[in-house]
Amino acid sequence: MKLKSRYLSKVKLTLISRSIVLSIVPSIIRSLAVLSLSLLLTACFNESADNGDSFHASSGMGQLLDGNTQGYSPVLPGKQLSFPADHQAHDDFRQEWWYLTANLTTQNGEQLGLQWTQFRIALAPPSPTQTQFTSDWQTEQLYMSHTAMTSKQQHLAAEKWTRGNAHFAGTQVSPLRIQQDDWKWQSHNEQLFPATLSANATEFSYQLQLDSQAPFQLQGDNGYSRKNATGTVASYYYSQPFIKVSGTVERDGETLKVSGNAWLDREWSSQFLSKTQQGWDWFALRLDDGSALMLFQLRENGEKQQAFYSGRRMYPDGCGQQINSEQITMIATAWQQTESGRYPVAWNIAIPSQSIELSTQALNANASMPLSIPYWEGPVSISGSHSGLGYMELTGY
Amino acid sequence: MSSSSNNASGFGLTVGLSLAVFARHYLKSPLQAGAILLGIILAVTLLIGVRATNENAVRSYSEATELLSQRAQLLLTPATGKKSIDEAVYFALRRAGVTQALAVLNGTVTDKQGQRWDIQASDLVAALSIQSEKAAGSSKAHASNQNTEQSVSLLSAEIPLAKLLAGAPYVLTSQSFADDAASTGKMTLNGMTLNVIALDDSIGLGNAILMDISLGQQLLNRQGQLSYIALFGQADGLTQQVNDTFAQQTSQHFDFAEQDQGEGLTSLTRSFHLNLTAMSLLAFVVGLFIAYNGVRYSLLKRQKLLVQLQQQGVPQRALLSALLIELFSLVLVGSFAGFILGLQLSHWLQPMIALTLEQLYGARLMPGLWQWSWLYQAIGLTFFAASLACYPLFNTLAKQPLARSASRYEQQSQAKKQHKKLFIIALFLLTGSALLFPLTDNFQYSLGLLGVVTIAIPLLLPLVLQIGISLVERFTRNGLWRYAVAESKELIAPLSLAMMAMLLALTANISMNTLVGSFEITLKHWLDDRLYADLYIRPPSDKVLQTQALLAELPKVTAIYGQWMHSSRYQKAPVSLMTRDAHSLRNSNQVKAQTDTHWQTFFNGDSLMISEPMAIKYRLNVGDSISLPEFEQAGLTALPISAIFYDYGNPLGQVIVSQKNWRQLQLPIQPTSIAASYAENISELEAILQQRVPLSAAQMYNQTKIKQRALEIFKRTFSITLVLNSLTLLVAAIGLFSACLMLTQARQAPLARLYALGVSRNQLRGLVSGQMLLIVLFTCLLALPTGALLGYLLINKVTLQAFGWSIAMVWDWQAYFRVLVIAIIASAIAVILPLLWQTRKPLISSLQQEAL
Repeated sequence: MKLKSRYLSKVKLTLISRSIVLSIVPSIIRSLAVLSLSLLLTACFNESADNGDSFHASSGMGQLLDGNTQGYSPVLPGKQLSFPADHQAHDDFRQEWWYLTANLTTQNGEQLGLQWTQFRIALAPPSPTQTQFTSDWQTEQLYMSHTAMTSKQQHLAAEKWTRGNAHFAGTQVSPLRIQQDDWKWQSHNEQLFPATLSANATEFSYQLQLDSQAPFQLQGDNGYSRKNATGTVASYYYSQPFIKVSGTVERDGETLKVSGNAWLDREWSSQFLSKTQQGWDWFALRLDDGSALMLFQLRENGEKQQAFYSGRRMYPDGCGQQINSEQITMIATAWQQTESGRYPVAWNIAIPSQSIELSTQALNANASMPLSIPYWEGPVSISGSHSGLGYMELTGY
Repeated sequence: MSSSSNNASGFGLTVGLSLAVFARHYLKSPLQAGAILLGIILAVTLLIGVRATNENAVRSYSEATELLSQRAQLLLTPATGKKSIDEAVYFALRRAGVTQALAVLNGTVTDKQGQRWDIQASDLVAALSIQSEKAAGSSKAHASNQNTEQSVSLLSAEIPLAKLLAGAPYVLTSQSFADDAASTGKMTLNGMTLNVIALDDSIGLGNAILMDISLGQQLLNRQGQLSYIALFGQADGLTQQVNDTFAQQTSQHFDFAEQDQGEGLTSLTRSFHLNLTAMSLLAFVVGLFIAYNGVRYSLLKRQKLLVQLQQQGVPQRALLSALLIELFSLVLVGSFAGFILGLQLSHWLQPMIALTLEQLYGARLMPGLWQWSWLYQAIGLTFFAASLACYPLFNTLAKQPLARSASRYEQQSQAKKQHKKLFIIALFLLTGSALLFPLTDNFQYSLGLLGVVTIAIPLLLPLVLQIGISLVERFTRNGLWRYAVAESKELIAPLSLAMMAMLLALTANISMNTLVGSFEITLKHWLDDRLYADLYIRPPSDKVLQTQALLAELPKVTAIYGQWMHSSRYQKAPVSLMTRDAHSLRNSNQVKAQTDTHWQTFFNGDSLMISEPMAIKYRLNVGDSISLPEFEQAGLTALPISAIFYDYGNPLGQVIVSQKNWRQLQLPIQPTSIAASYAENISELEAILQQRVPLSAAQMYNQTKIKQRALEIFKRTFSITLVLNSLTLLVAAIGLFSACLMLTQARQAPLARLYALGVSRNQLRGLVSGQMLLIVLFTCLLALPTGALLGYLLINKVTLQAFGWSIAMVWDWQAYFRVLVIAIIASAIAVILPLLWQTRKPLISSLQQEAL
C-alpha cells in the first residue's frame, strides 16, 4: 500500500551552478545596530537630533523597529508608571527590554563583568486575531536575549531567539519572572527584588542573587523619556543603578563564588528612532561617593554635526540630577582593533558642573560582542576625581 | 653530457615535428579526429552525467539537514507504539536548557484534486536561530566556504515572520517547487488556502512544503503533537541532558534515535545508484569502442606516413611518444567537452532521480554541486583505457619494418587469427562467469560478473560474423553478389569495433527492456491479487469507527476488510509491522514459500510472514525466527517465519502477524485503513461515504485508481534507466554511423573501379547497402541470445539480490524488433549518406583515392 500513498509532485531541475551569495549579514548588523542605538537612549534627551539622513535599515530588524507604528500604543507624557505592573511585558508596544550589567569580584579577587539582556519585539500590533489564537504556538511576540561574561583575559557572549509563548519566553506576574528558555530572572514575589538571575550558555553559566533597597530612578520626565527635543519620539524608562549581587559563576568547568553590584535598565516604546546618529558611547558608572553616573554621547553621521551628550547623576535615596549636553566633554584616548571593528576603549570625561573629571579604562579591551550585531560591551574602571567601576557600550564603529 | 642533451633536444624536435605532421594530417581529414573526439566525448559525458547525479544524491543523504536549519545529531521519536510525541516534552526540554532543539511535525494533506502532499511543520524560530549559529560558527572557521551555501535568517525580509508565527496560512517552499505546484502563489490543502512564499532553491527546501508548527498543527488537526524533536550538539551529552530532564523516565515519552551520517539512506539506495553506475560504465565502454575505432582507422590511414617518417630518420621512440601525446591531447579535449556535456546531462537526469528517490525512499535531493576532480578522474580513466587499448597498435605500427608491404591476404589471415583469439577469450570469460554466478548471492558481485559477461559478448562478434558470412557466401551465386558477400568478409575487420559497440548497446537495451517489461507484468499480476476489494479507504483516525459503522450498515456492502499498520525496526532498519483481517490475510498475499502447516500455525499466533525483499536482505528463510522491539516489549518470544510473500511496492521490509498476535502486542486496535467490496457501482459507495462520514474523495481509492497510480509510479521509477539505455544505444548508433562513414569513404576507390567496370550506380548502392545490412543483421541476430542472457542475469541475479524482487522473465519480441529497426536505420543512414556524396564526385577523384 506504500505505492498508493506516495504521490509525486513535479520536480524542476535545479541548476548546477554555484549559488550566488546574497549576504544578508550586513543588513542585520545595520538594523540591529539601530536596536542597540535605541537601547542606548536610556537617558533623556534635551536637544533635537533629527537633522540629516535617516538611519533606517531596509530589512530585517530595521523593519521590525522602523516599520509602521500604526496600531501600537503611543508613548505619551504624563503617564504614571506603576510597579510591579510595569515590570511585566507591554505587548502593545513594539519594543521592550530588561537590561542588567554587573561588576563582580570572584572569591579569588578576580574582576568579572556580566551582562544579561532580554529583548521583546512585537511582530504585529495587537489585533482581534490575537484573541482568536487557539494554539500556544501562535504568537506575535519575538524574544531575543544576550548574555556575556568578561574577565581580563576572556570575553564570552551568547545569544538566543525564541517566540513569545507561555512555555518559552515572556513574563509572569506572580511570582515575577522574566524568562527565555532557561535564562531567567525569577523573583520571590511580584516585585523585581529580591530575585535570582540564572543563565546557561555553552561556555559559561551563572546563578546570581539580586537585591536592592533603593527606589527606582525614573528617567527623563517622571519616566517619560524624550528621544528628541520635540518629543515626537520617546520611551517609558526607569533604572535601578543600585543592586547588590552575590552568587556563583561556572566557567571552564570551574564554579566561582562572586559578589558585586549591578545596574538594571527597563525601557519600552513603539518608536525609538528618529535619528541621524551613527552610533553612541554609553557609560553606567558607580562612583566611590555612593552615587551613580549614567552618561552617553550620540555621534552624528557627518563631521559637521555636533555630537549630543546627556547624563544623570543618581543617588541611592532616589534623587538625581539631569546633566545637559553642554556640561559634558568626552574624548577618546585609546583605540583597540577587535574581531568586529576598531573601538575607542579608553576615555577622558569631564563634567565641571558635577566636579567630575574621570578617565576610564576597559577591563578587557577585546570585549566586542560577536553576535548578530557587532558592538562592544564590557566592564570599565574609572580614576580621577572619583574612582569606581561600571559598564561601557560602544556601537556604530 | 653534451651529447645526451643534444640527444634530448633532438628527440624533442623530432617529436615536435612528428606532431606537426600529425596535425596537418588531421587538418586534411578532420573526420578522423572528429570520430575519436566523438567517442571520448560521448564516453565522458555519460560517465560524468551519472557520476554527478549519484554523488549529489549521496551528498544529499549525508548532509541532510532539518529544513532551514542544520544537521541534527539526535532525534527524539515517538515512544514505541505511539504516533506522536507530546509537545510538552519540547517545552520541558527548552525550560531545562536543552535549547539546541527543534520540534517537528510531519504529515500528509490532500489538495482539491485529491493529490496527497507531505508537509513539514517546525518551530521556525528555533530552526532559523540554530541555522544562523551554524553560519556564524562556520564563517569563523572557514570564511571562504561560506560563499557556496546560502542561508536565510530569522530577520530576512523574504520570511514573513509575523504571519508565520501568528499561524496565518503561509507556507515556505523552494522557488522551483512553487513554480511547478503553486504557480498562482497559493495552494489549497486540506481545505485551507495557503499563501506560498518561494525561497531560493539553494536554501535547500527541495520539494518540501514547510510551515510554522502553529499552522501545521491546525492543518493536520494534530494539536499538541510532534512527530519528532531534533537535537543539535554532541549526541552523548544531549542524551545525558535529556535523561536528566526526564529523571531517566524517557521511554514513557519518546525513544532516542541517533542520527547516522546518511548511511541508512545510502545503503537503502545503494543498489539503485550502483545500477546507474553500471549503466554509465557501459556507456563509457561503448564510447571508448568508438574512440578506439577512430584511432585505429586514423592509424591505418597513416601507415604509409609513419613508415615515411621513419625512413626520414625519426626514431621509433619519438614516433611512439608523438602518438601518445596526440592521443593525450585528444583525450584532454574530448574529456573536457564531455565533462561540460555531462554536467548538463545530469541537470536533465536529476529531476528524474529526485522523483525516484522521493517515491521509493523518501530522500530529498539538494541542489547539485560539481567538482573539478571529476574532470581529472575522467581524463585519467579515459587516457588509461585509451592508451591500454591503443598502445599495442602504436607499437606494432612504430615497429613495422621499414620496407614492408603487407599483402592483402596476409592482413586478412592475421585478422582472422585475431578474431579467433578474441572468441576464445570471450568463451573463457563466459565460462568463468557461468561457474561463478551460482556461488554469489551479493548483487555487487553479481553486477561485477555481469560486467565480465558484458565485456565477453562483443568479443564473440568478429568470429561469428566471419563464420556467418562464410556460410552465406556458400549459398550465393557466382557474380557480383558473390563478390559482395566475399568483400563483406573483408569489411568485418575495419567495421568490427563499431559493430561490437553496437552489439553491446543492443544487448544492454534488449536486456533492460526485458527486465522492465517483465517487471511490469509481474507487478500487474501482483496488484491484481493484492487488490481484491473494490474500495480502499484511509479515514483520519477520528473517523475510522464511524466509517466502519456506516459500512456495516449499508446492505450493498458485501465485505469489509481492515489493515493495521505500525512502524517498527528490525536490525535498526525501519520495517512495517502489519496485520489484516483473516480473509485478506489468506487472499491478498502471493506466497513465495511456506511451511506445510503455514496457515494453521499463523492463525494460531505461532508464526509470522515476512516479505520477500526483507527475507533476501536479511537472508531469512522459512523456519527462521525473528523478533521485533514490540515483541520484547509485550513479552513475546521470537516467532518463526512460516511464509514469505512477494512484495513489489515497498522499499521497507514487511512483517505480517495474525490478529491474535497483534492484540498480544498491544498495538492500536483501530485499523489504519479499511477496504470494502460493493455490489453496485463503486462510485455510489464513494458518494455515500463522502456525504455521510464525511470523507474527502482523496481519502478513498478505488481499485482501478490505485493500479493506475502504481503503474504510473513504476514507469517513472524506471524512466531514468530507460533514458540511460536509449542514450547508450544512441551513442552506439553514432559510433556505427561514423565507422560506416569512414569505411565508405575508404572504399571510394574499389567502388569507383566497379563502376568503371560497368556496375550500375543502383547496383552499387544495392551492393554496399546489402553488405552493411548483412553485417548488421548478423549482429542483431547475435544480440538476441546475448540480450536474453543478460536479461536473465539482470532479473534473476542482480534485481533479485539488490531489490529482493523475484520477477518472471517475459521475452518482449516487440522491443527486440524496435531496437533492431533502430540499428538498421542508423546503419542505413551511415551508408547511404556517404554513397550519395560520393556519386556526386567525379569518377576520377574517387579512382585516385587510396585503396583500403
